[in-house]
Amino acid sequence: MSTFNFGQAIRGGVSAAAITSLLMSSPVLGAPPVDLSKWSPEYVRSIAGTKDFDTAADCNKVTPLDYKGRLTFWYQGVFEGDPDLLRQYYKDFFAAFRKTYPNIDLQEQALTYNDLLDKFRTALLGNAGPMMVRLQILGGVEFASKGYLQELKPEDVGYATEDFWPGAMKSNMWKGKTYGIPTNNETMAFIWNADIFKRAGLDPDKPPATWDDVVKYSKQIHDKLGIAGYGLVARKNAGNTPYRFLPQLWGYGGSVFDETTQSPTYGRIEINSRASKQALQASYDMYVRDKSVPVSALTNQQADNQPLFLAGQLGMMISHPSDYDVMLDLKKKASGTDVQKAQTVIDNMRYGPIPTGPDGKRAVVFGGSNMHILKPEYVDGGKVDLPAAKALACFWASPEWSLKMAYAGSNPGNLNGFKTKWMKERLDNIKFLDVTTSMLPYGVPFPTIPETPEIMNIVVPDMLQNALTGAMTVDQATEDAAKKIKNIMSGGKL
Amino acid sequence: MSMTSIVTTRRGKPIDAWRWIGRIFLVMMLFYTAVPMAWMLLTSIKSGFAAMQLPPQWLPNEPTLASYKKLLDPNNSVGQDFLRFFWNSLFVSTMTTALAVIVAVPAAYAFSRFDFPGRKFLFFAVLLRNMFPAVIFLVPLFILMRLLGLVNTHGSLILTYLTFGLPLAIWLLKGFYDNIPYQLEQAARIDGATRFQAFVLIVMPLSAPGIVATAIYSFIGAWNEYIFAYTFLNKNEQLTLPVGIQRFFSENTTDFPGLMAASFMMSLPVVVLFLLLQRYFVRALTEGAVKH
Repeated sequence: MSTFNFGQAIRGGVSAAAITSLLMSSPVLGAPPVDLSKWSPEYVRSIAGTKDFDTAADCNKVTPLDYKGRLTFWYQGVFEGDPDLLRQYYKDFFAAFRKTYPNIDLQEQALTYNDLLDKFRTALLGNAGPMMVRLQILGGVEFASKGYLQELKPEDVGYATEDFWPGAMKSNMWKGKTYGIPTNNETMAFIWNADIFKRAGLDPDKPPATWDDVVKYSKQIHDKLGIAGYGLVARKNAGNTPYRFLPQLWGYGGSVFDETTQSPTYGRIEINSRASKQALQASYDMYVRDKSVPVSALTNQQADNQPLFLAGQLGMMISHPSDYDVMLDLKKKASGTDVQKAQTVIDNMRYGPIPTGPDGKRAVVFGGSNMHILKPEYVDGGKVDLPAAKALACFWASPEWSLKMAYAGSNPGNLNGFKTKWMKERLDNIKFLDVTTSMLPYGVPFPTIPETPEIMNIVVPDMLQNALTGAMTVDQATEDAAKKIKNIMSGGKL
Repeated sequence: MSMTSIVTTRRGKPIDAWRWIGRIFLVMMLFYTAVPMAWMLLTSIKSGFAAMQLPPQWLPNEPTLASYKKLLDPNNSVGQDFLRFFWNSLFVSTMTTALAVIVAVPAAYAFSRFDFPGRKFLFFAVLLRNMFPAVIFLVPLFILMRLLGLVNTHGSLILTYLTFGLPLAIWLLKGFYDNIPYQLEQAARIDGATRFQAFVLIVMPLSAPGIVATAIYSFIGAWNEYIFAYTFLNKNEQLTLPVGIQRFFSENTTDFPGLMAASFMMSLPVVVLFLLLQRYFVRALTEGAVKH
């Protein structure tokens, strides 16, 4: 079992300034329902199960429960590979909504993670979007800036802006107006295989402290055992890539713009800074110099790392606590000698905080999803049923459901979710949850500009691929990325 | 001097070296095409954990039909969805095939037999569409379908697949008709048949391999098509199989046995259709367009 002391790490590593700068820099200052300055695993445990909420009663104040209407809704679904637990909660959610609002004809459409943005963009071109959409956190501003979304703030659905992570609220802001409501927020953790560490001569219970250590450990694992050390991913147009490279970039002190500062302006491009180059150099060292990461990393996403990790062919990766749940499911469905093998993998899974850079900087992407309501002119049929949309937003963003829908791998968008009895139950049932909740204060939101999806999903992976394939040197790749970003920011295309 | 006269057996019998080279090549090609299919089948009968093992279990230690049971069980949500996607694909492909044949047969006959102003230009125009990648038509077609009120209907797919499938079908069939002597029709006409009767009773039976090949082409094209189905359909109950089986991919994980079982079952109708009709298909390729 991991001996890493997360509470100590948090207390030692998180300054109030860091929390304030990254997550509390809310445009609307108010008292949040939880004390973010006290954030630690112990604090999260202390508030769990302290308050009851009645979702139906709360949402009845927004849209009467007997309201008759129709709503089309797209969201990133959970599918066959996701933990059974999470799939069950999604089923329960839609069943509960239909039971609570029996007269709302909800037509929901689940889409896969990598397809949602593209499909939504295409639908909007034909004015055939859904009335409501739940998008990954980096998507909302793009659509708000293009005028597709209606203004929508927590107060519109019965909550207060302070009920949500300020960083998450910022991801819904465009030109001072709010266009969405957070449903869940996540920060990932560092996962390693203790048995691989042991066999490679590393301390099985001690994760790499710095990104330089990751490079070193990855090489040691590869050299000693002939397997991949770190699960680098560099696939284009896959959200997994920025989620895994940006913590490294920020850790080294680099950034795309100035997104890690207290008041980012996004006016200065930093992806070609010395620190950013160091971060890319680390990936280059692992992929090209040491060959210590999967050779398929250039086209890999996290779904490709997971089987390698579970098969004991990968030493370390960045991911959610849900990987542990997925492993439990796989074990449940295995038979014969595979059961014991699966148990061995489970026993050797360890979670720890994301490594720091050379100067002790620790950062992770502040991820999650937001719900948005479209303007009628972009919707199939030309009408939006606003009360029905608000009812769904209220339901999903409630303390109860924002917690349950994030049960296995994420965190509730509504901070009151941390106070529910389900959070208490979750802390007992979901192993390693402490690690990812502990990482929340280190979360850095993606730049809240319309160009973010293109930069994160295309330019950043392109930069990685250019350097790792040898098409460009590290210097050239970062300069090329800076040039592309400058071009995009001035209204040009890639 | 030919190779066959150089290479001989011990008994002095000549060996047809080219034939053996051909056989070896065919075995290699068979291996190349069969191994992925075998891998798909073998993965589909593994548990999720076994499917992720490296080095891989070539033959599963604990084979299971769980993925197939799940897919074929109409009582669980996975089975309900899969069977619905399967039916949707079957409906769209069958309708596309039927309409492609109904339209292509007379159109190709007209191009082959009638001389009318702009005939060459029209024939070229029909083929012109196939010279561009389908994806450039994606957004314009989507907007068109929306204006026609066909988004979220199978009609949008059938219409689109016809747009892409018809040129090839007409070109293929025209080659066939060109090779059927016109004198046969003339003889029928002399015997009192109308032009339509001559076409139905003389030309169509002779062009059966071409019609079957056209049908197979249309069916396979519609059955496997992904990008238009993915763009035009936004309702779960209307999705076709190529789009529907995406649900085995998640943000961080993939259900490999489920994906492979679904893929294997998706390939079955095409394989069965091809096995049943391959005789016609091969004849079509050798007697029709190629000769032309």
